[in-house]
Amino acid sequence: MVGIGFRREFAEEMISGEHIRPDFIEFAPENWMNIGGYWKKVLHRVVEKYPVLCHGLSLSIGSPEALDKSFLQYIKKFLREYNVQIYSEHLSYSKCDNAHMYDLLPIPFRMDAVRHIASRIQQVQDYLQRPLVMEIVSYYTPVAAEMSEVDFINEVVKQSGCQLLLDVNNIYVNAFNHQYDAKAFIQQLPLSKVAYIHMAGHEQVAPDLIIDTHGEPIIDPVYDLFEWTIQHLQPVPVLLERDFNIPEMAELQGELTRLKNICHKQWKRKDELVA
Amino acid sequence: MNLLPDTYHIQQTFSTYCRTGEKVKLPGVAPHRLKHYRQLVFNMIRDTMEHAFPIAFKHIPTTRWNKMVKEFFSRHACQSYQVWKLPLEFYTYAVEHNWEDTYDIPFLNDLLAFEWAEMEVYNMEDIPAPAHSLSGNWLDTPLVLNPEHRLLSFNYPVHLVAKPKELLKNKGVYFVLLFRHPETGHVEFTDLSPWLAFLTEQLTLGITVKDILEYAPQLNITDTGTLERDTLAFLKHMQQLHFVLGFRQ
Repeated sequence: MVGIGFRREFAEEMISGEHIRPDFIEFAPENWMNIGGYWKKVLHRVVEKYPVLCHGLSLSIGSPEALDKSFLQYIKKFLREYNVQIYSEHLSYSKCDNAHMYDLLPIPFRMDAVRHIASRIQQVQDYLQRPLVMEIVSYYTPVAAEMSEVDFINEVVKQSGCQLLLDVNNIYVNAFNHQYDAKAFIQQLPLSKVAYIHMAGHEQVAPDLIIDTHGEPIIDPVYDLFEWTIQHLQPVPVLLERDFNIPEMAELQGELTRLKNICHKQWKRKDELVA
Repeated sequence: MNLLPDTYHIQQTFSTYCRTGEKVKLPGVAPHRLKHYRQLVFNMIRDTMEHAFPIAFKHIPTTRWNKMVKEFFSRHACQSYQVWKLPLEFYTYAVEHNWEDTYDIPFLNDLLAFEWAEMEVYNMEDIPAPAHSLSGNWLDTPLVLNPEHRLLSFNYPVHLVAKPKELLKNKGVYFVLLFRHPETGHVEFTDLSPWLAFLTEQLTLGITVKDILEYAPQLNITDTGTLERDTLAFLKHMQQLHFVLGFRQ
């Protein structure tokens, strides 16, 4: 299954299915909760047509302060209402001192942060009665790290029992920005826990820095890393994210088709080996 | 809580930097990389406000607008987990901190209120209308109004005029009704006289047109013989616009 992030900019094209036809859609609950009028009608039309996965923005699992219970109540109701199959979030924080930041801030790679986050993930999973799928985020600087990134992620997964969202572009970006080997990093992850993959484009803003913009097409090296990665995974849903500089639908469909062909090639081969 | 005070403090310092842009020292952090976080976070806030308040953004000098957005984000703890609701907090902050005087923009509260109301009504959750029929007695049957609306009063005609000089010349008492068209979802707005604003407010309370008309003399409205006719003409026009939905069953 290869899907795309649902955006208002191309909602009608998605509903018509004429120029773009993903296997599923993904959207952020925060962008659609408590919405009525025109866009609620559009949302209902699109969810009738495609299976839905949700990727949250405001849970802020890494926040120092307590979880927002009323927010979780809304999320639970929303996931049920739209029959959402996977709910994923970010391994980062976006709220501190009771203030939302609306972006993904890096968590210090420390063992106390691991324990804190694992406990919060468990609380969320218990409340929602479903596994949380946590995305390894792109980051531009480590903060007061006392352990490696990969050890941090492994410990969070081990202590919380969560699943992983492997954003292959994020791994490429992080490997470039922090000068490590992307494949070696991926090999050290608990790959049996990967439940979902994201793919996206990025922008290089300095000789030594890439920003994860979701505003450009996926580049060939990221496709290559994706193809290599999925050979080590069981088949999972794959999502194309495109949030800015929205191109013609044919271009997005081209990216979906390319991803689908890679999945078909690698995962079909795996199925044949298993058979 | 499992988080140690030191880690907590580091996270606070990082997020405070993102909100204020004021220099901080954080262990293991490269300052030239840190600045990208401030840019990413602040760009999101700035873009959200520009999108929500396009008229204010266009007509308020850039330096003042930027100062407002920076002050708001650095001093206010944003509460909404939905970014589209953040402009309400910006508007509320402006009122609470008397920005009309601070920034010498007397129509600021009205303009922000109007632009926010347009966004709010467009996005607000669907509100089911009470049961109603399409025919009835205009004077004696309580009317059912489109519940997806806002009735606002202003000191400046921000719903009619955009240019600051024109606004300042026309200080007065204004009323505007915003409502969402039930089928298209578009937001329509109508300038109302004080009488029609009063009428609309009373109708939402379920009072009949006849009873409202009887109250007119107490508002010092002199009925020249056309008040009932003009009132009913307005209501019939508003029925065509899908604000008056029908007659209570």
